[in-house]
Amino acid sequence: MPLTNLKCNKCLPERGDHIYIHDAQNPVIPACNIKTLPGDMTERGCAFAGARGVIGGPIVDTIDMVHAPVGCAWYTWGTRRHLSDLYPYVAPGQLANSSFNRRFCVVTDMKEENVVFGGVKKLKESCFESIRLFPEAKAVIIYTTCTTGLIGDDVQAVARQVEKETGIPVFTAESPGCSGVSQSKGHHDFNIQFYRQIRALRERRPELAMQEEEKTPYDVCLIGEYNMDWDLRMIRPLLERLGLRIVSVFTGNERIENLIKMPDVKMNIVHCQRSAEYIADMVKDGYDIPFIRASFFGIEQTSMALRKAAARFGLEEKAEEIIAEETARIEDALDFYRRKLSGKKVAIYVGGPRLWHWIKPMEELGMEVIMGACTFAHDDDYEKINERHKGGMLVIDAPNEFEIEEAIMDLKPDLFLTGLKEKYLIRKMGIPTVNSHSYEKGPYAGFAGFINFARDIYQGIYAPVWKFQDGIAAPGRLAQGGEEK
Amino acid sequence: MTRKIAFYGKGGIGKSTTQQNVAAAMNHFFDKKVLIHGCDPKADCTRMILGIRMQETVMDTLREFGEDGVTLDTVLKTGYGGIKCVESGGPEPGVGCAGRGVITAINMMEDLGAYSPDLDFVIFDVLGDVVCGGFAMPVREGKAEEIYIVASGEMMALYAANNICKGMVKYAEQSGVRVGGIICNSRNVDGERELMEEFCDIIGTKMIHFVPRDNIVQKAEFNRKTVTEFDDLCTQAQEYRTLAEKIINNTNFVIPTPMEMDEMEKLVIQYGLPD
Repeated sequence: MPLTNLKCNKCLPERGDHIYIHDAQNPVIPACNIKTLPGDMTERGCAFAGARGVIGGPIVDTIDMVHAPVGCAWYTWGTRRHLSDLYPYVAPGQLANSSFNRRFCVVTDMKEENVVFGGVKKLKESCFESIRLFPEAKAVIIYTTCTTGLIGDDVQAVARQVEKETGIPVFTAESPGCSGVSQSKGHHDFNIQFYRQIRALRERRPELAMQEEEKTPYDVCLIGEYNMDWDLRMIRPLLERLGLRIVSVFTGNERIENLIKMPDVKMNIVHCQRSAEYIADMVKDGYDIPFIRASFFGIEQTSMALRKAAARFGLEEKAEEIIAEETARIEDALDFYRRKLSGKKVAIYVGGPRLWHWIKPMEELGMEVIMGACTFAHDDDYEKINERHKGGMLVIDAPNEFEIEEAIMDLKPDLFLTGLKEKYLIRKMGIPTVNSHSYEKGPYAGFAGFINFARDIYQGIYAPVWKFQDGIAAPGRLAQGGEEK
Repeated sequence: MTRKIAFYGKGGIGKSTTQQNVAAAMNHFFDKKVLIHGCDPKADCTRMILGIRMQETVMDTLREFGEDGVTLDTVLKTGYGGIKCVESGGPEPGVGCAGRGVITAINMMEDLGAYSPDLDFVIFDVLGDVVCGGFAMPVREGKAEEIYIVASGEMMALYAANNICKGMVKYAEQSGVRVGGIICNSRNVDGERELMEEFCDIIGTKMIHFVPRDNIVQKAEFNRKTVTEFDDLCTQAQEYRTLAEKIINNTNFVIPTPMEMDEMEKLVIQYGLPD
């Protein structure tokens, strides 16, 4: 059986269902997207974090009204680097680099009395106040949280009233933290509710949809791309050179007016297929717009994405031209990094899909993925992981810190692609890390972005600091730690 | 066009009994397609239609099998006359949050498309008073547009009815919900009809029907049947038939004008203290 378990899970035998060593002949899907066991110090987030932090957050010109006690808002603010370029006027003739979606954090600050007497009034006042404060905002999204979901505040009614009085579209994302097993539920909730509300809004105010004369046969929408460290500056030109027009991106660096036009395109390209394929599915059902799945990481996958997109529009020749040109451009750099990185072993711990996005790119650098872990992946993510890996990789679903520690100690990878919170532990072990959630010096997507990725990995692994930090490689270190193998 | 209606009223007044008898009468005498969504954690709003207390409530299924386990096949049952039944279920008394259960269950049923357009009536049977946001869920926008309050000629029932009206006033402007009338489920107390009429007059609605007390209701209930199913020729079945007809043909929907406390007190003195 490819399923296995770690020593640290002696008291949690059920965790064995979540851990496996991939065998290409006998692929398994681990237990995933199920509730956390007591005793498992999971690193999962909550549904609200998924809705507010991941999907709603990157929209640049909306007020993200968090209807919650103040803490819920703080912990979703400014943590993800979904960058943006909204430069509104702050005074006549004066623009500001406001990074509106990342700089401000708006919350109703629910208190005991608001919980007892209902928070609807406070929410409404907060909406009006924030609309007055931020004239650059073109819409409001109200998020409910555990508290306000529980007391049943009718936020949809507030949304409608505020919209009626101000003319500014008001959306709701009702995804209380407690409503799912991980942040993945929040992605799903946001997708469904946003789609329905866009649909209703377009019926209510048809002038917001794209007018017939504005449409072109090459209109596409890029779904599930959140502009981490300017990934869009890599992806967008590739598609535009192909001859496609990106009408809207769901939701990286995007304006709400463009998101309302999502159903006006000819095709959708889905990048993050965990957090946003839901809306692509709904657009397909509701408006008969097809979608393709794509990955813009690594040479092979980016090329494939361009070919797939081009095939739908008869632009194959152009695609080959771009691919040839781009690959030639990065060839020398890639050769250098491949020479330096060949044979290195890498472990990847990400939220979900980036594990399968990155298996191939690592191979392109001559490296091998020996361990992978996802916080909130579902069955289909594990299918994609299994498809892309030749076997022998240890995979952990929703790992906790002990499991990561043990896996890293056992496997001793040369690099760990992980987030901020794990990096201290891993670096103390003498193993370099590269921030896989928000990147070090991105962007990492596309052809040129891939070279940035390779450079950061190279700089991580070859940083002189490791001469002074032997970590787990130091003689006697394991003996000190207790258990010598 | 599906009409969505909700029944409210003081605990123990006979909401579920009245509601199920109305649903059965609508179906039996007028051939209406009905779905009952019970919003009481006790899950007893559909017992007489199904002939048994619902075993698979939405909340129990959710707890046991997770969200994917909740499908129309598992939680939607068909009872007498093809009436569809679903029960929210919820926590044991004294623990957890029943209101959140109501919210979750209604959202799930909407997502699953349980309130399908081929239905003539969707009936929400809601526990007791409108105690928190959760129990107001059935009257939010796009949900029940008309409500019926079950009451009797006792002061406590009227207090509750008055209180429910206060909630409805609040929701009237938000969601457009209206009161369709008050159903008097008679307790055979003195001057009941007069008191009810006076009360309805003051709060601006009407008594849609006076359901007399008849032991056959209890007898049928004991047999886990509605009166219509138990004996559709008896006089009580005709009463429910009349009530169902009145609801089907009702056009009198109002925003109520609930009374202040001292007004209620005056009414007590006028009618509540005979001799």
